[in-house]
Amino acid sequence: MGLLDKIRQTFGSQPASEVAKKRLELILKYDRAGLPPNAINAVKDAILEALKDFPFIDINGVNINISENGEEREKIEIEVPVKEK
Amino acid sequence: MADKVICVTSGKGGVGKSTVTANVATALAAKGYRVAAIDADIGLRNLDLVLGLENRIVYDIVHVVQGVIPAEKALVKDKRTKNLFLLPAAQTKDKSAVKPEDMVKIVEELRDKFDFIFIDSPAGIEEGFKTAVTPADTIIVVANPEMASIRDADRVTGICEAMGKPEPKLIVNRIDPKKVARGDMLDVNDVVEILSLELLGIVPEDPNMVSYINRGEPAVLFEESIAGKALRNVAERLLGKEVPFMDIRVEEGFLEKIKKLFGGS
Repeated sequence: MGLLDKIRQTFGSQPASEVAKKRLELILKYDRAGLPPNAINAVKDAILEALKDFPFIDINGVNINISENGEEREKIEIEVPVKEK
Repeated sequence: MADKVICVTSGKGGVGKSTVTANVATALAAKGYRVAAIDADIGLRNLDLVLGLENRIVYDIVHVVQGVIPAEKALVKDKRTKNLFLLPAAQTKDKSAVKPEDMVKIVEELRDKFDFIFIDSPAGIEEGFKTAVTPADTIIVVANPEMASIRDADRVTGICEAMGKPEPKLIVNRIDPKKVARGDMLDVNDVVEILSLELLGIVPEDPNMVSYINRGEPAVLFEESIAGKALRNVAERLLGKEVPFMDIRVEEGFLEKIKKLFGGS
């Protein structure tokens, strides 16, 4: 490790406590929803694969999220925008 | 009193459930309240050790469930605070020897004779945990400021909610202000924000705790113990008093200030 890396590691890296907080917030979001952590990505991949042949859909705008409206059952919300005319 | 039957739980093991139970129960007994402490960790009896009562046990909770002896007669009287009584766990291998309905019955038997009944829950989220939680009016979740403990505390909270129990109150145990200042450990505020539970106590890491436990003498009985003071405060809050949380922060060191200057935070 070069001197510069050492300095960066000592002074510039994110504190472990903040890393822990970010990781926990994400983990708990999935735990609470009862979903495996990679579920959203897997669902998204499958949806993109299914939508790719439709020319009127804006593939780049597809958005997928776990809804956080405090309802009893969690929902996965998928936004599929139509291409601009 | 609404907070009469209190279950202390955590999900993860080793975070300090029995230590918190023994100390808060002792603190309340020392103030003159009649307190019963039930060790619900069947097969892994430990609450007796923290209280230094291991040599006085004759009967245990399974004897009570089997009808060998009434709950009140099975209680072990504390040697220091005359108002504290322990119902020891059994050392049997059969963890399901005490069912939720058995615990409810035991608590009902004791309810009128005590001001507080503590139930020290086993770790985990299986039957034994449910047995411990079922009769409780109030649930205390003990968490350490670390990843696995916080995640498990959140799981336990969800299960309590699903059981129709009131939202647990949180004790953050073994927080090390030096590690927090260094940015290595989560701060109490972070833990509260992540779990979004009502905070009941902040217990700092106390290097003397191991010695109190080794001697079987609860830390709350010692003025000089910092964890003991924090746990006495928990007892006061359970009595409905508004006690400010101890300020356990340490001054930020030179290195931390430099780190922040370099955008490390």
